Amino acid sequence: MRGLLAVYQKEVISYFRSPIAYFVVSVFLLGTGYFFLYNVFMTGIGTMNETLQNMGVLLLIVVPVITMRLFSAEYSGRTMELLMTLPLKPWQIVLGKYLGATTILLLMTLATCIDLIPLYLYGNPETKTILSGYIGFVLLGMACLAIGQFFSALTQNQIVAALITVPVLLVFWFIGHLQSFQASYELRGLFGYLSFSQHFADFIRGLVRSEAVMFFLIVSAIALTLNTSYLQWRR
Amino acid sequence: MIVLESVSKRYGAKTVVHDVSFDVAQGEIVGFLGPNGAGKTTTMRMIAGYITPTSGRVTISGLDMATENEAAARRIGYLPEHPPLYDVLDVSTYLRFVAKAKGVPAREIASNLERVTTACHLEAVSRSEIFKLSKGYRQRVGLAQALLGKPEVLLLDEPTAGLDPGQIHETREVIRAFGQTHAVLLSTHILHEVTLICRRVAIIDGGRLLAIDSPNGLQKASEQTNNVTLEITAPADPLRAELLSIEGVYGVTVRPIPGRPSMQMVDCQVDARDGIEARIARAVSGRWELHRLERQRPTLENIFLRYVGQGVRGKEAAQ
Repeated sequence: MRGLLAVYQKEVISYFRSPIAYFVVSVFLLGTGYFFLYNVFMTGIGTMNETLQNMGVLLLIVVPVITMRLFSAEYSGRTMELLMTLPLKPWQIVLGKYLGATTILLLMTLATCIDLIPLYLYGNPETKTILSGYIGFVLLGMACLAIGQFFSALTQNQIVAALITVPVLLVFWFIGHLQSFQASYELRGLFGYLSFSQHFADFIRGLVRSEAVMFFLIVSAIALTLNTSYLQWRR
Repeated sequence: MIVLESVSKRYGAKTVVHDVSFDVAQGEIVGFLGPNGAGKTTTMRMIAGYITPTSGRVTISGLDMATENEAAARRIGYLPEHPPLYDVLDVSTYLRFVAKAKGVPAREIASNLERVTTACHLEAVSRSEIFKLSKGYRQRVGLAQALLGKPEVLLLDEPTAGLDPGQIHETREVIRAFGQTHAVLLSTHILHEVTLICRRVAIIDGGRLLAIDSPNGLQKASEQTNNVTLEITAPADPLRAELLSIEGVYGVTVRPIPGRPSMQMVDCQVDARDGIEARIARAVSGRWELHRLERQRPTLENIFLRYVGQGVRGKEAAQ
């Protein structure tokens, strides 16, 4: 457990000792702020629903920037040799890094709560719906982070890691749109089940379905397991 | 402490380490010599557990690297060829991370950091970010992380690379002191370093272990390649003929000494018999004027080149 904690702390410190965390959080907040202003003040509708939907799309761009360095930088900086020869198990390295990236996601999410101040001051939003939307956002983010982290482990080039992660996340986001083109019932069901946006939409509507929660957790677990297996295989 | 049993590593059809076996005992520093691409770093990485051997077994203090990796890793301090440093961290934060990852108890971390910072002379830079450090300091931070957490075994891949002469001396002293009570495997290109601090030398080339012995043992084994050097005033051809007629002399190179008319510099390749110098002196001093005669013991450099040369010839023969 101490090894996991050591990797986690190193990751969080590394994020804040480089411009990445500041840049990512700033870009995300600027984007979220813009969408919030547009959705609430231009339309006069006092909910977070549209803004959360936009935050989900922003996440597809922001997550690869957070995850691209996780393993790629270890390879290119030749520090992977240190990590793999310390008395750490591969899963401790993978989970420590993942929790570090998740901390950035949580900080980013927390910072968007500033948008809720005018919403509660001048409107009458539904707290439970907002809470459900935020739970969905964090779960979606965690699944995206796990996928991005896995692709970062496959290459020592951070840009390549990001460039692979973006289209994969876009596929998971838009795959639900392919349902209408499918005659097969099974394929329609599969595309719907794999769709990040459809599961996330339930949360935004205020539905915390165990199926959707499990979906995001299982996607995260699969990506992290593949990541751990890859590290073991590399030995 | 460190035991390699028939360790091999293959990448596809290419075998980079062939059936290497040796051991390093407690209180012993073993120098690991070989030209670039000889398989030194691959062997070090297998001992450290970064890569697994295709066949064979590596044990550290009796713990099998393949099945008890984590317990074995706790006993190893490893400085890879390129010091594994996080540029964005400061020295103290970096060492603290390594100490925690090595499982150093929280109450002992501060004293551990102080010990390695003092040993590696890092006091002046302990708060500096690593990307700002010179190459010498980076190397010493790499060595400091290897010393954290009371390792029983030290694996050092070129630990003095990039250091200035003063730092090299200090680093050798750190290694020498550590080697008195622990097992140290030291990979280096600097042959002089090996003779200074290593009890035994392992020579590797083409992924094969060619020799392992003490520097003196290797010298004895190589004495058939001894040279006797002469400076003599004599005509070249009769001198060469006279020398080759002496029993035990099997090669003669004669070169004129520039600016000294009729004086020759002669290198005789002789075998290991005692008294060969006296026989040469008797044979030539009656006929010509002998100015200097010296028997040269093989240096570690010559021994290394001889073994590595054999390795190259062996490979050519195999092809």
